[in-house]
Amino acid sequence: MPLRSLLATLCLTLASQGYAAEKVVVYNWAEYIPEGVLEAFTAETGIEVEYSTYDNNETMVAKLQLQGGKGYDVVVPSTYLVSRMRKEGLIQPIDKALLPHYKHLDPALLDKPYDPGNQYSVPYLWGSTAIGVDGSVVDANSIHSWADLWDPKWKGQLLLIDDVREVFHMAYKINGHSTNTQDPAEIEQAYTTLKRLMPNVRVFNADAPREPFLAGDVALGMLWSGEASMAQAENPNIVYVYPDEGAGFWIDNFVIPAGAEHVANAHKFIDFMLRPEVAKQAVEAIGYATPNLSARALLDASLRNDPIIFPPSEVVQAGEFQEDIGDAAMTLMNGYWEQLKSGQ
Amino acid sequence: MNFRRLAIQLTLTWLTLFVLLPHALVLLTSVLTPDPGQLASYPMTLQAYGRLWDPIYAQAFWQSLWLSACTTLVCLLVGYPFAWSLARTPRVTRALLLFLMMVPFWTNSLIRTYAIKLILGNKGLINTLLQGLGLTDAPIDLLYTPFAVVFGLVYILLPFMVLPLVSAFEKLDPRLLEAARDLGAGPWARFTLVVLPLTLPGVIAGSLIVFLPAMGMFYVADLLGGAKNLLLGNIIKNQFLVVRDWPFGSALSLTLVLLMGLLLWLYARANRHINRRGGLDDSAA
Repeated sequence: MPLRSLLATLCLTLASQGYAAEKVVVYNWAEYIPEGVLEAFTAETGIEVEYSTYDNNETMVAKLQLQGGKGYDVVVPSTYLVSRMRKEGLIQPIDKALLPHYKHLDPALLDKPYDPGNQYSVPYLWGSTAIGVDGSVVDANSIHSWADLWDPKWKGQLLLIDDVREVFHMAYKINGHSTNTQDPAEIEQAYTTLKRLMPNVRVFNADAPREPFLAGDVALGMLWSGEASMAQAENPNIVYVYPDEGAGFWIDNFVIPAGAEHVANAHKFIDFMLRPEVAKQAVEAIGYATPNLSARALLDASLRNDPIIFPPSEVVQAGEFQEDIGDAAMTLMNGYWEQLKSGQ
Repeated sequence: MNFRRLAIQLTLTWLTLFVLLPHALVLLTSVLTPDPGQLASYPMTLQAYGRLWDPIYAQAFWQSLWLSACTTLVCLLVGYPFAWSLARTPRVTRALLLFLMMVPFWTNSLIRTYAIKLILGNKGLINTLLQGLGLTDAPIDLLYTPFAVVFGLVYILLPFMVLPLVSAFEKLDPRLLEAARDLGAGPWARFTLVVLPLTLPGVIAGSLIVFLPAMGMFYVADLLGGAKNLLLGNIIKNQFLVVRDWPFGSALSLTLVLLMGLLLWLYARANRHINRRGGLDDSAA
């Protein structure tokens, strides 16, 4: 009975997986941890890290939902998803007593509406969405607002981030609305505004928006702060402009899924990542801002004072953080998004 | 005998586990009610299928169909003469040429798609060359256009067109052409009355194995076309991940499967028709 022996082997393999040594299962964004950090964590604590990555918030949530919140001990959702995962019971409260390094975090980035009191989430890195300009092609001083992208002279030349909420953010801000609006009338108005922008688009990109800038295929468009600082390291002509109407902001947070099997280890891992030396490495390697004040103090002055990574506080005040807007508004926006993309 | 039974059993188990079962799940999901918390829940409803008639999806479907048709046509125009001349080269050269055609497949198609971006970009090979020769002043927009999408699809899928065509041409008996010439047929008549009908099964097979995958390769349109067009694959992905309407996403993907099944059925019919009419396919050898 070859089939039965095959099954037996399969069962044995699966069973042996269950009896591994102390471990923690981490599911993080791709290219979102400095090299060597996982090894250092294992060397110090003896806890093996089972590490895998995703490139899209929604993929991660769908996977967790399918597995009933099990299978992972630490995941890293963005701002608006923390509130949704909290409402849907996918994540569990975090015990701050197990996080001695929590004290390093900047109070200005804690206790946000998406998770009051940070009961469920610990900020890891944060950043912004603003305007990228290739100064060797476009005069960077002539660009200072989202509305500048609507100028008909950019016909077929812009890069937009391939994400519904990021793109609608521009229109909401131009129309003077919140990026978290759920009002159907305001959403429709944003759609009408965006319809006029579509002829200017050359490319939508959400995996590495810096690439078309560096390849010389676009000289103007939306860009993320981390991508901008990475691009600038390669091509100093790339400029990052915070638009007058307000940039978009987001925070990526450590959370512990409701069904996590190694809760204590998950806390140890999160606390390790909160250490100033480790958080400092994250900024250096990834180019996004750390909410860790002690880590910021350790940084080289050129990074610490880089306005791309750490925007001045008035810029943060003018901008807005993304929150969960609920499924009804999301479905409505996606319907308009499909219409925009199919040219209607 | 025993080995054969094992092989069949294994294949059946494999197909049941990884093809039949997932599709049954998709079918089930497509008739459930959307529920963001649970992904999908009872009661059963056909609502998702009603939404398929929204003109936006018809447009996405035409867009996908149009790009795939262009790709198939270009593959055919390039692949047909290529396969013909390939079939007439000595056996060793032919094997070498076929091998060379397959070599790029050792590299992941995603990586090759990124390479095409480098070639077609504003500062890419083609634009640098054109500007270097003084043919244009400003770079021509090649990347992020429908041209780039068809270019990428043709590049990836051309071998699938060439292989069935080569085997069709190999079966083509040169004596038939000699006979046609002896009986006074000119080059055009020999091509339309002898070569084309005899290689038609290869043409249909090649077109089908190019057309069907082209419908599904939305990442090529995303990367090379700048994600500006909404193709069926994109809509399905969005329904599952962004909107979280699993029943509608399932209904869309089932529709795609059914359409492809319909095309396969048409192919089988056409093939049978050709064989019956001429009886040429095998009796020629």
